Amino acid sequence: MKQSIFNFDTKTVVAIGIGAALYGLLSTITIPLVPQTGLRPAIAILTIFGALFGPVVGFLSGAIGHIITDLTWGGGTIWWSWVLGSAISGLGMGLVYASSSFNVNEGRSTKGNIVTLAISGSVALAVGYGISSILDVYLFGEAPDKMWVQFYASAIANIAVHLILGVSAVLGLLKLNRRNSNLRVLK
Amino acid sequence: MKEPLISFRDFSFQYRSLSEPTLKQINLDIYPGEKILIAGPSGSGKSTLAHCINGLIPFTYSGTLSGEYSLRGQRPADLSIFEISRSVGTILQDQDGQFIGLSVGEDVAFAFENDCMAPADMKPKVTHALDIVDMLPLHDQSPHELSGGQKQRVSLAGVLSMEADILLFDEPLANLDPASGKHAMELMEEIHRQTEKTIIIIEHRVEDVLEQPVDRVVIMAEGRIVKVGTPDEILSSSIMREHGLREPLYVSALKYAGCDLLPKDKPSSLAQVSASPVVKERLAVWADSAEPASKSAPHPPLIEMEDVRFSYDGEREIIRGVSLAIGIGERVALLGNNGAGKSTLSHLLTGIAKPNAGVIRLQGEPINSWSIRRRGEHIGYVMQNPNHMITQPMIWDEVALGLRVRGLSEDEVKTRVEETLRICGLYGYREWPVSALSYGQKKRVTIASILVMEPKLMILDEPTAGQDYKHYTEFMSFISHLADSGMSFLFITHDMHLALEYTERAAVLCNGELIAVGDTAHVLTDTDAIAQANLKETSLGALSRLTGVSAPEAFVRHFIVQEKKVNHHE
Amino acid sequence: MSKAGMLYIDSDTLFHRMDGAAKLIVLAVWTVVVFLFQDIRIFVPLFLIGIIMLLSAKLPWKRIRLLVWLMIVFNIFNSLFTLAITPAYGSEVSGSTTVILDLGYNVLTLETVVYVLTLSMKYMSLMPITVLFIYTTHPTRLASSLNRVGVPYKVAYAFSIAFRYIPDMQAEFRNISNAMQARGLGFGKGEGTLSQRLKHFVSIAIPLVQSSLHRIETISNAMDLRGFGKHSKRTWYSATVWHREDYIVIVTSLIVLIAAIAWRVQGYGTFWYPY
Repeated sequence: MKQSIFNFDTKTVVAIGIGAALYGLLSTITIPLVPQTGLRPAIAILTIFGALFGPVVGFLSGAIGHIITDLTWGGGTIWWSWVLGSAISGLGMGLVYASSSFNVNEGRSTKGNIVTLAISGSVALAVGYGISSILDVYLFGEAPDKMWVQFYASAIANIAVHLILGVSAVLGLLKLNRRNSNLRVLK
Repeated sequence: MKEPLISFRDFSFQYRSLSEPTLKQINLDIYPGEKILIAGPSGSGKSTLAHCINGLIPFTYSGTLSGEYSLRGQRPADLSIFEISRSVGTILQDQDGQFIGLSVGEDVAFAFENDCMAPADMKPKVTHALDIVDMLPLHDQSPHELSGGQKQRVSLAGVLSMEADILLFDEPLANLDPASGKHAMELMEEIHRQTEKTIIIIEHRVEDVLEQPVDRVVIMAEGRIVKVGTPDEILSSSIMREHGLREPLYVSALKYAGCDLLPKDKPSSLAQVSASPVVKERLAVWADSAEPASKSAPHPPLIEMEDVRFSYDGEREIIRGVSLAIGIGERVALLGNNGAGKSTLSHLLTGIAKPNAGVIRLQGEPINSWSIRRRGEHIGYVMQNPNHMITQPMIWDEVALGLRVRGLSEDEVKTRVEETLRICGLYGYREWPVSALSYGQKKRVTIASILVMEPKLMILDEPTAGQDYKHYTEFMSFISHLADSGMSFLFITHDMHLALEYTERAAVLCNGELIAVGDTAHVLTDTDAIAQANLKETSLGALSRLTGVSAPEAFVRHFIVQEKKVNHHE
Repeated sequence: MSKAGMLYIDSDTLFHRMDGAAKLIVLAVWTVVVFLFQDIRIFVPLFLIGIIMLLSAKLPWKRIRLLVWLMIVFNIFNSLFTLAITPAYGSEVSGSTTVILDLGYNVLTLETVVYVLTLSMKYMSLMPITVLFIYTTHPTRLASSLNRVGVPYKVAYAFSIAFRYIPDMQAEFRNISNAMQARGLGFGKGEGTLSQRLKHFVSIAIPLVQSSLHRIETISNAMDLRGFGKHSKRTWYSATVWHREDYIVIVTSLIVLIAAIAWRVQGYGTFWYPY
């Protein structure tokens, strides 16, 4: 049975921790595009954990995972603005979880669910990292024009990863978990 | 008569997602201070029974219950999982999953923290619990610095500190090497004697558990309890063999020798049973019937390692001058305790690690500089856990993956995948999703996905871990069949039974050095090497030594011949 | 990351003894103060104070140099990038224009160079205090400290779980990726086209995710069986008692914070250009 979004049970706590660990761990793999921004396959982890566990787990694993990456590879700075961006993205990835026809563990989903996941995730990435860019201008005093370049680059890269890797990984998991009732041993 | 602590009456349980009950008509009473072994093959329902006892059923896994179950006279469904955990302390088989804290002390204190105990009050209790399991000096260590056995002891301390009077061990030996397993069983017995706690052990490795005294053994099969009795009663019957459980090796040997074991012969004690003159006589006759060992022709070498050395940091050598050859079509066991360097040695063969000195040759050609991928075309590596290897939802695609990456034409991929699936007995399942397969079948899929690449050597890491005797036997005879067709195998294992029955040669690794290489029966009865590598002698060697009927090596060899005949007929 | 998966370096200095929560407050105040201003005359002293504090913690250079290099490399790239895209931005914020180079599509101004230096110093001034926090706070204290400064304990515990299992998962990732490479699936440079590499990455990620899901189940069972979540709060074995130093540091931080806000509200500390 699926848990309500706000039910903060032990499994949710562990899912946040493990999701954050995976996101943080895989964030070390980047194909650089512009400074501080690149193609990060780790985005797919947010797609997967959002779809599997919902927006709360998506938000917090995104935030905690990002902080952990920064602590290890951030050059001694936690980029709070981008932490928020990862968190909002994770939240958006998790919205589809609320649909009763969608359950990755039981291999159930509709076409509409997948479209929702693709769109809500993409929008969340754009909004999330958009907020990060704006915060960078206000908190750090970065030049707005430069931030726009970074924003477009990161949004396009991350949305691509979300759609190509993330959504296809969720489809893969759905297929793995689908119960085939009419399996026969073939000759 | 004492009141039972735990009592099942006509108890059945069915998981919500399954169409059949997993537990059927269970009747069992467990009394205070008892030490009980619950044994059964996989799928027998023993883990589900454990979940009922510790409250994960019905609190985490839901389903339909019928019949009666009571814990101290109360219905668990009326309690909470927290209340149950005050009575029943569980030690899970996954030591990393259970070790949640970031340091030893913190992990032991976990339950106190959740109880909102003041930190100052926790410290003496943590110290006391760690002292019992002999882990106090490692109080500040992080889990990553500990061995599996040490982590298990910390988990035990964590449970002891909760003062639960029932200790439930769920497959405590599953992830331990033989020496740590022995140590764990001794520790359980010590705690049992000192605290008189009730101890329930769920395990299918019966021989290792029965080395220490146990009050009763419960045998489960297909969701039912098929027999309950003292270890002597169970071992003198044939119930274990009937239900696909591995009897202690010495008990099998005694049965082959035609000894009619009775509970009064105390078959649960190797020392007592081997002191009986009747047993000695029978065994002597049996041992004399042994055919002389046939010398197999030497195999031309496939892989040769010559004085290979390796260290990660340039300071501490992990592999210290290893020279080992594996012949074409040969099955070799690489034995050693955790930390002896077994995985590093396999990494050197597959190219994951590159030696600092020495040469590795494949059919005479040095391959030191070859990449992982290039070596992968000749040397296949199968991981212990099939779930770590399977990436595709469908069996067909999983097996075809490596060929497709190599860029073979779809026609050729089809021919080779079909052939491989046939060899592996998976052809009938070719259109199945991987998720519908059992653990053992998944294991076969991973073998198939390597086999399809036609390697010359296959390295199998702990091939039988997590499988019960029946599946283990099936799987290993499948592997033997492959070896007969000319492929070489290297088994990385600390399972002595496996080495004994399925390999021709064995190499014992200890602290990065090979301390014994040779004929398996010979190496495994070499008590000096076994002791030095901190491995465990099989009970067959001990039986022949105690009864003095023949040389251990010949005795062991005779046993294997007999065992193969019996398994072949079954 | 060390074998134990933690960056913590054991020692006995003032910062090692300080309570984690106190250090968190210092870190937060420091970050807010840096965010408030855009004046290199503030960042340089902050950076120097930070460096002095860092030196007093006696951290071995060998262990922290990677982070420092990352920071320097980041600043160089970020500065060059800013200069290339917005070479006249400094003039926009300072209101004066001193052209030093005509780039064709725009002009590079001296003000922008000063701006870039200011920005770099801003980032640099955050570094010492963060490094100090990371390397002197044992991970076991992190969760309890977060809880003490008001983060709900379940969220704080998720941090702890992440730290606990990162090394295990890292090892698992390495194993899976090695086994895949032997089957010809790599995602490193030179392992095929970008799309092939991404595909191979998924092949490695799927088993890792599957095993992580299994791990979640085991860990949450283990935690349930030991009473996690029983009460609305919990205590922490590794929690430390606050000493006089902790109080002094916190009070000082708060005073600095109030002073900084007051100063900023009066309009000081915006972009400073010397000419």
